[in-house]
Amino acid sequence: MTARGRIATYGAAGLVVVVCLFPFLWMIISSIKVLTELYTIPPTWIPEAPTLGNYATVLFDSNIPRYFLNSVVISVGSTGLALILAIFASYGFARFQFRGKTYYQSFILVGQLLPTAAIIVPLFITLRYLDLVNTYLGLILVYMIVTLPLSVWMLTSYFKAIPRELEEAAIIDGASRLGVLFRITLPLSLPGLVAVMVYAFVTTWNEFIFALCFATDSSVKTLPIGLAEFTTEFNTDWGAVMAASVIMTVPIAILFLSMQKYFVGGMMAGATKG
Amino acid sequence: MAKIKTLAMLAAGVSCLALASGAASAGEVTWWSPNFNVERAEELKVKFEAANPDITLNIESTTTNGLPQRILTTLRSGSAPDLIDAQHPWVTGYAQNDLVLPLDDVIEDRDDYNKAAIDYVTYEGKLWGVPYRIEALAVLCNRGHFEEAGLDPENPPATWAEFLDAAQKLTHDGRSGFAITGGGEVGNTIFRSVPFIWENGGELVSADGKTAEVNGEKAVEAIKYWTDMYTEYGVSPASTLENDGTANRRLFIAEKVSCYQSGQFDIGSIQKENPAIDILPIMTPHPEGGNPSAILGGWSWVIPSSAKNPDDAKTLIKWLAQPENMGFYTDTFPARVSAMDLPRFDEPILKVFGEMLPYGRPLPNHPRWVQIAQAYFDGVQRILIGEQDVQASMDDAASDIQRLLDQ
Amino acid sequence: MPGRHTGLLFALPALFVLALLVAYPIVYTVILSVTDLGGSFNGTENFRNVLAARATPRAFQNTLWWVGGSIVFQVVLGTATAILLNRDFFGRSTVRAIAVIPWVVPGIVAATTWAWMFHTEFGIINYMLTGPGIIDEPVGWLTGRHTVMPAMIAINVWKLFPFVAIMVLAGLQSIPKDLYEAARMDGATFWDEVRYITLPQVRPVIVAVTLLLVIWALNHITTIYAITRGGPANLTLITPIQIFRLGFESFQFNEAAALSVMFFMVAMVIVALYIRFLASEGEIGR
Repeated sequence: MTARGRIATYGAAGLVVVVCLFPFLWMIISSIKVLTELYTIPPTWIPEAPTLGNYATVLFDSNIPRYFLNSVVISVGSTGLALILAIFASYGFARFQFRGKTYYQSFILVGQLLPTAAIIVPLFITLRYLDLVNTYLGLILVYMIVTLPLSVWMLTSYFKAIPRELEEAAIIDGASRLGVLFRITLPLSLPGLVAVMVYAFVTTWNEFIFALCFATDSSVKTLPIGLAEFTTEFNTDWGAVMAASVIMTVPIAILFLSMQKYFVGGMMAGATKG
Repeated sequence: MAKIKTLAMLAAGVSCLALASGAASAGEVTWWSPNFNVERAEELKVKFEAANPDITLNIESTTTNGLPQRILTTLRSGSAPDLIDAQHPWVTGYAQNDLVLPLDDVIEDRDDYNKAAIDYVTYEGKLWGVPYRIEALAVLCNRGHFEEAGLDPENPPATWAEFLDAAQKLTHDGRSGFAITGGGEVGNTIFRSVPFIWENGGELVSADGKTAEVNGEKAVEAIKYWTDMYTEYGVSPASTLENDGTANRRLFIAEKVSCYQSGQFDIGSIQKENPAIDILPIMTPHPEGGNPSAILGGWSWVIPSSAKNPDDAKTLIKWLAQPENMGFYTDTFPARVSAMDLPRFDEPILKVFGEMLPYGRPLPNHPRWVQIAQAYFDGVQRILIGEQDVQASMDDAASDIQRLLDQ
Repeated sequence: MPGRHTGLLFALPALFVLALLVAYPIVYTVILSVTDLGGSFNGTENFRNVLAARATPRAFQNTLWWVGGSIVFQVVLGTATAILLNRDFFGRSTVRAIAVIPWVVPGIVAATTWAWMFHTEFGIINYMLTGPGIIDEPVGWLTGRHTVMPAMIAINVWKLFPFVAIMVLAGLQSIPKDLYEAARMDGATFWDEVRYITLPQVRPVIVAVTLLLVIWALNHITTIYAITRGGPANLTLITPIQIFRLGFESFQFNEAAALSVMFFMVAMVIVALYIRFLASEGEIGR
């Protein structure tokens, strides 16, 4: 790299860091300010009287800890379910020819195109019918609409990229289709599976509208609803909102960072070998 | 459609049988109370259960964000709690869609209630909610700023001309004299601007609900007076278009705004966050020779038509509506006149708000009201962003509203 | 060869779950769209009412701006970031990690934080610009006729360009190194490489990612609804939000359903055309 190229590279990298991090940083700064300081004009860069009071409010004086648990259960559950369903469906799409395959594949995408506002009420009725309102399972199921399509899509491409010959050899040796899937294809697809997992987890962790409408009991409400609860009729506790936002974002950021290597690799095959 | 209703009922039935875990069965009443009321609701629960040992009360706290959506989803899905706190203007919408039960057999001593509140929740001659809370906006000012500007706090401006003059005197050095709203939910701007139209003898919609009158001379004059605060005289802050009532309160607390329209619900948080401010409530200014006006706001109790235990819910409403319980539960003023005698409503700072109540009017009652309000609000915003002048914008709003009235 | 139905059997559980969730909502919406409040058939009345509203064409136009603006910048900035992150420099893995933060931040959090930062009076952005004198007066970012939609698009771009960057970065890493080496032997500059090797090689990724971005942008509610609710004066009203408001704020569920049906058809056509166009190029859909 030339000197000029190097400067340009570092300059651009610095810009990316600032742009991506700044709002997050501002969130953290706001979360340790006292209420009156949040509303001073002009705003202050460094809190004059930094406080952990907002975090105390969030951790000890609100339902956030319980919602955190709910979010973990629901996100893990729906990620797991999406992963299982997507593995089978993608394998079917990637390895077999059958009548109407294109239609089935398009159908899986359709769910994402339905306007959210139009499906809330009928979906609620469906859940009532299945007796799943205000249950973990209900939310986990509903999130399939959101996560399954892309999961299937990504995994299908991933499976296609794995050479058929490996599987055929095993079948000649007498292995069953399922045995091949579990013993050969899946271990080879680890990065792809991680990519799907991270995607599904991030998406469900952050989802707001379905959670708002389908979880009306504090035993199943998730973190985004917890954020909304800091707003009362005439007031919003911004400090607490920011503190809760930090608490909500950190785990997902850590999860992502720890899986990042696999994720990029998984996306790679998923995205290019379609 | 009939099939859908059957299915919905079936669904309600199924969940009724199977929801033994936590939700209502015979003798249990599930009550959705907003999160700012829920502590008081819990206190009332103890007393109620002591007085009615065979009824168990489950209180669910609801959040303000998205509350109308959540209530509608549960009402439309055919399986709802037994009692819900809803704002007055929402109630007729539920009544039109058959989503709540009539409560004429529940309300006692109807004449003891604020008449405008009763009108709000009455539709086709029946009562669809029991009002428990009412309030009317006035103007909150900063007494210190008044004195600095050489104005007399004991003799505050009362007419439009006096008030504009005061607002201009209060505006200096980055401080705004009078903040209007132009953002947030539609209701913020409706509650703050429509009273000016009424004071001036104008209307949004004719009394028979058939003609849009928002582009009439009186209405346009009033809207011009109100929006000029921002567009012409600059006495309202630069952020007017993103400010709702809450944002204006923040600016007031930061002492960037000297006066803004609000209700008594803001007093507590102002005193807490900036105790240095001496709050001066004044009546909403009126045209020369006229009277102040206000939109009556507040909350009612409704019973969903799909409630599992409507009878016990009615017992609960009757108990809650007793003056001392209603007076305890409300955040602002109680809807019953006799409950106003309680000591908590006797504070000097509340005096002006109490005096505004008799000038309170309900909003027009029309199946398309929410869309009418939105069309009007869009018009006000077009004026504030400088897209159209007042007359042109209100002509457009009137044609939008007329189309809705004709449907 | 396996039996004719083996593949379908594998796909069946996923198809069943989706059908279970999607079938009733579709039927319900279609029925609502051609009935009135009382449930009796009223033909195309709901459709005509919706189309006559002043907000509808405006929302449609806004949706096109929103989708188009978001996607162009997401793809361009995302690709540029990916090319940057594929270069060799000190601290690269840290920068890569930081670059995904916007994507993992919850949408509702991003929206509230940005609204807070854009605020005319309390916002840090106006403070940073007025302080050194770049602008004299605070700008009403979220209220100005010419700034509010670009501001919304900027937030959406901020939220999703990292996703594009990860996907494209993955594609870049699969480009054989010898392609670049050969080019360099021929004296190609950095920009020549980008133009003649990098972009053609990652084109399939970009095409696929764009489809996802279109779908997401078409059905987006959170950011705009949380910040402006479609205002001021409908400047940021996009069709999904109009549907949401029509149903959940105005109680007009039948009209909301009619608008949903029309919106869904238009969205389907757009996506189908896109897929067909790609299929004919042999890039996806095989």
